[in-house]
Amino acid sequence: MDENKGLGDEKYICRCEEVTEAEIRDAIRAGARSVVEIKRWTRAGMGICQGRSCRRLVERILAEELKLKPEEIEISSFRQPVRPVSIKAMDE
Amino acid sequence: MAYLRCDVAILGAGVNGTSIAYELSKRGKKVLLIDKIVMGAGASGSCDDMILLQSKKPGILLEMAFKSLERFESLKDELPSDIEFETRGGTILIEDEEHLAIMEDFVASQNRYGLEVEIIDRKRLLQLQPLVADDIIASTYSARDSQVNPMLLMKAFLLGARRKGMEFLSRTRAAAVERLQSGWGLLLDSGDRVEAEVLVNAAGAWANDITKLIGFEVPITPRKGQVIVTEAIPPLGATNVWSAQYIVSKLKPQEPAISRPDGRAAVQTPAERFGLGFAFTGTHNGNYLIGSTRENRGFDKSTDPEAIGLLSAQVERFFPVMSKINFIRTFAGLRPSTPDGMPFLGEIPGAPGFFIAAGHEGDGIALSPITGLVMADLITGKKPEFPMKAFDPGRFCGKGGV
Repeated sequence: MDENKGLGDEKYICRCEEVTEAEIRDAIRAGARSVVEIKRWTRAGMGICQGRSCRRLVERILAEELKLKPEEIEISSFRQPVRPVSIKAMDE
Repeated sequence: MAYLRCDVAILGAGVNGTSIAYELSKRGKKVLLIDKIVMGAGASGSCDDMILLQSKKPGILLEMAFKSLERFESLKDELPSDIEFETRGGTILIEDEEHLAIMEDFVASQNRYGLEVEIIDRKRLLQLQPLVADDIIASTYSARDSQVNPMLLMKAFLLGARRKGMEFLSRTRAAAVERLQSGWGLLLDSGDRVEAEVLVNAAGAWANDITKLIGFEVPITPRKGQVIVTEAIPPLGATNVWSAQYIVSKLKPQEPAISRPDGRAAVQTPAERFGLGFAFTGTHNGNYLIGSTRENRGFDKSTDPEAIGLLSAQVERFFPVMSKINFIRTFAGLRPSTPDGMPFLGEIPGAPGFFIAAGHEGDGIALSPITGLVMADLITGKKPEFPMKAFDPGRFCGKGGV
């Protein structure tokens, strides 16, 4: 599936979790239809930036593969917090 | 509007629905898997990754967990994609003499059931967990506790089943169920109709919504567990970790609040109100999962700062070094809980061909391989290797409240 991974000629979409464009397209071809499904299948968007850099790219790839308009892509779920928070800050 | 025919229609693409779909597809059944949202949208996608033998009550659940663990060993090679199965062992931290006494009894009863688990002293614990808090007096240790990535497990079951011809419909739910001359008919809210010889309800916390369609109630209620996900960090220790308090709370999940001498109910501490217990596991990717609460809050899946605060304080209490770490996510899952802590596995009384496999609460991931096997046995008319009486879907009929 990702025999080129690590060889330098692949495009990374999720940089935190190192998920390539090819892996995302594979997930869509295997049936994923939303950002949430791609997240669960590939980990794209599950890294420390919380999908801030890759979510829109994933949406664009989805729109392309599914031949939809970007606004027709299901909105992703969001899980708190929006930025990393220290454990210390929460312990009261 | 489509008209779909299959041998078995399974409602719910969680870890158990996908496992059953896989086992039945392997046995040549034409399977249709249906989920009202997407794969893993319920508890199976909002949980931790543990296959914990030590938490199982000695008895049939522990025996099934043994069998599941064996099955995981073969599934990791048999399934078409990686499931990140690992056996790191598990330790349950003991804070005081009272918990030590409870855990000594618990460990002894588990030993009688053949589980290799022992109590280790602080010195041995430090070899496994060098960063544990100074006042932890002892721990249990079992080399057999394991873990698996629930997302990858579901994906692998799904891909494996699909290779054998299974079809999957997401984003559609059963609006009506009718009994046909032979088998069952489903009307989906997409307008599609399904005709199946056998129906399997694997809808987890939502299972009662399905059985209600044929006028049968199962006492499955959602129990919320909130979990924190940290940033990826190097491993703190060799094993996954729980607290004895977690086991005590799991053994007595519905212990009534102790009443005070004056007859008024005792005031619960916040930890009691949230059913707090410590579960701490490192994932394959380096993120730690810090759990968990056990709350009866209906179908509310939100996380709240009070619970996250309690979970944070708890992880610092057991591992002070964690105060320096950031968390990047929180989530809550709704575990399907039953009055006796046993899942419902079998045919609904008076509804031949209508099966249920739901109500595993926190054991769903760990027991999914064996659930797939016993359900496939029941459905194909083979005798399962376990006595199924304890899981009888009709066991609460006529006992009030159902």
